[in-house]
Amino acid sequence: MNIGIIGNGAWGGALATLVSKAGHQPRIGYREGGSGGFPGTPNFAMLSRESDLILVAVPSTSVAEVIEAAQPGAGSMVVLASRGLNPRTGGWLSDLILERTPCRRVGALTGPALASEVVRGRPTALVVASSFDEVCVAAQTALHSEHCRIYSSHDLHGVELAGAMVKILAVALGVVKGIDYGAGAMGVVVTRGIAEASRLGAALGAHSETFSGLAGVGDLVSAATSGDHPSFSAGLSLARGGAVASRTIEQIRAVLALAEVHSIALPLTEAILAIATGEASPTLAFDELMRRSARSE
Amino acid sequence: MSTHLLINPSHRSIDKALVMRIDALLDGMDKGEVHRYLSETVYLERQRFHRSPDQVSEQERSDIEGLARSLVSGVDAMRDAAARLVKSYSQEVHNRFSERTYGAALKVAPAALKRLLGPAEAGVWSWKHFDAGDKILVQGPLAHLRALASTHTLVFAPTHLSNLDSPLVGYALHQAGLPPCSYGAGLNLFANPVMGFVMSRLGAYTVDRRKRHRLYKDVLKAYSVELIGRGAHSLFYPGGTRSRFGTIESSVKRGLLGTAIAAWQEGLVAERESSEVLVVPVTLSCSLVLEAETLIEDALADEGKSRYIINDDEFSEASTVLKFAKKLSHLDASVVVRFGNPMDVVGNPVDEAGHSLNVDGSTFDRAAYVTDGAGRVMTDVQRDRVYTNHLADAICRAYQRDQVVLPTHLAAFAGWHCLGEKFPTLDRYHRSLLSPFEQWVDRGRLVAVIEELMVQLDRKANEGSIQLLLPEGPGRAELVLSSAVATFGRFHSRAGLAFEDWRVLVDPKLALYYGNRLAGAGLKVGESS
Repeated sequence: MNIGIIGNGAWGGALATLVSKAGHQPRIGYREGGSGGFPGTPNFAMLSRESDLILVAVPSTSVAEVIEAAQPGAGSMVVLASRGLNPRTGGWLSDLILERTPCRRVGALTGPALASEVVRGRPTALVVASSFDEVCVAAQTALHSEHCRIYSSHDLHGVELAGAMVKILAVALGVVKGIDYGAGAMGVVVTRGIAEASRLGAALGAHSETFSGLAGVGDLVSAATSGDHPSFSAGLSLARGGAVASRTIEQIRAVLALAEVHSIALPLTEAILAIATGEASPTLAFDELMRRSARSE
Repeated sequence: MSTHLLINPSHRSIDKALVMRIDALLDGMDKGEVHRYLSETVYLERQRFHRSPDQVSEQERSDIEGLARSLVSGVDAMRDAAARLVKSYSQEVHNRFSERTYGAALKVAPAALKRLLGPAEAGVWSWKHFDAGDKILVQGPLAHLRALASTHTLVFAPTHLSNLDSPLVGYALHQAGLPPCSYGAGLNLFANPVMGFVMSRLGAYTVDRRKRHRLYKDVLKAYSVELIGRGAHSLFYPGGTRSRFGTIESSVKRGLLGTAIAAWQEGLVAERESSEVLVVPVTLSCSLVLEAETLIEDALADEGKSRYIINDDEFSEASTVLKFAKKLSHLDASVVVRFGNPMDVVGNPVDEAGHSLNVDGSTFDRAAYVTDGAGRVMTDVQRDRVYTNHLADAICRAYQRDQVVLPTHLAAFAGWHCLGEKFPTLDRYHRSLLSPFEQWVDRGRLVAVIEELMVQLDRKANEGSIQLLLPEGPGRAELVLSSAVATFGRFHSRAGLAFEDWRVLVDPKLALYYGNRLAGAGLKVGESS
């Protein structure tokens, strides 16, 4: 099986490691910086043509550009390992492929695997979601090994949304850790954050169980406990007076815009936006959340 | 001669083909699944026999009882009995299609339709001053479709409002210079002798909606695959049934639609010369709908939810159909049949030659959707279901883009909105039940709302996201309202909209029904500025 991985960052390298461990030879598509010891090419279109499965492991802000360059065709299978929504439109990243190329067989890959742990051979698991069984099977064939279990799902949009929400909620967890609100508060953020994700997901036709699975709770717990999750680190920095990247703010706004269209309240996500944009201090924002009136779970 | 014009397969070859197809389906099941599949047939058919004993033939009873006996006699006996039943169904479905229908449609249908819809000197179906060309506008890329029809098998997918849609599309195909096509028509539609005559000569084959078991549905699908595979242009209503609320289809059924991709793949495997199948969305927009009153009543009534086949609507009375057509004869441009851009079986647009198009205008080989790296066609039913979902979504987008807004739609939408302004606490159901004393709105406000909506519609029309056929010139909103009032006064037992001094009487149910045509257009009162 020919597997192309677009993106030579930490996550692209981790996926290449998993592909190798599953018994395949990955090829890396890169712009600069080389292919990290694996065979590679800067020609994304060629990589796309010559691969049975393409894994896209670039930041969500770069997905449009690499898809434009790779031009997957009618026979291609593409799995997005990038988390988030389309930062320009707030739409699904998978729609970038469907709207700009003839490729229909798309999927999304997410879960609690951390790049740093994957390359060290620590056991983990991921979930691949696609409407097409054959995309799920291809991703399982490419990545499943004794080091990493790959579960499958048909809930493509649920998994995409879970990936986007975990990035935001991991920022919140970092903030809570940074202001030292304690383990109880962390638990509240995990559960109420997942509840927000589930509510929005349900309005968008996603399955609620997706958010309690690897793509939701699993990924969030991993972010909260690892110490070196990028979004969690961003939250820590925010709590200590630092700033978050503008693309994180774009992602939060994209999720809130989606929620507004469907009249779904996301108080925790709104609080993170207020903190990230400097409209409220972390303590003020969380205290405001705590002052909300009592309600049933 | 093109293989696409005269497809008249014999009963015997169709029977054999369908038996083989169902046999292949049963091959993919284990013994238990075959037993469940056929038991369901026996159970549901016996229920039907019990409900309507008068409408069951001896042959039907005999086939089902034979199948029932086979269920305790081993898998071979079950499959033999199933084959006999499939053969019966094949003959029933195909009955109206053969000599008298599809082949003859080329010669008979145009004349019959001209008599029904066009000017004639005399006869029960003719009226003075009636010229179907004025009343029924046929739009779309007609030259492109005519060219493709000679090299590709076309599957037309119209929106569905009325039982008159099939003859209407038949007429539009004829006017557009396109060949007739085969389509499934419910048995109940043949109850009207006039329409039955026309439909059976338009390539209609029989669908008995009372048979609800999987085997029968699979026979219909197999029949459709067979026809498309043999190059017969076909027509399905992807919405399945007439729109009860008057809305344009925003989601469609995948069953028959999926036969397009199945037939296309079979053609690829067999390397047939004319294997390519394209889908053409067709949007029907009508000022008046014959069955509007019954449909909306049915949709709103709780008991209506379980009524799938309506046998006692306006369509079942021949005199009502004639009266309706006669009333329409006094209206200009009362019906628009708009053929959409053709698409491949996955929903991609195609170029003049029928090649699938990428967003940048380049072409690509769509066979790659179903072939492996070596070019072999790989069978995958689940994959094809998802491809059909993509096709269905593309068809629904085309419906929204190609729908033509007529004065009755816009004025009804505005009238329904104004009733909502008067009674803001009432939900849709209760608004539809307003007493006659409450069924009015201020005329000035209604005109203002129409004016505001027209600004939004103009913008959408300029973007190409909707089509308009509305009066032009100063005072357009008033013209739209007057045109709608005049039209509504022509047929229904209650006028949808009617003038009364400074106010406009609004029938809530008809306003809801006709206004719903714009329900998916994204219009909002109070947002134009």
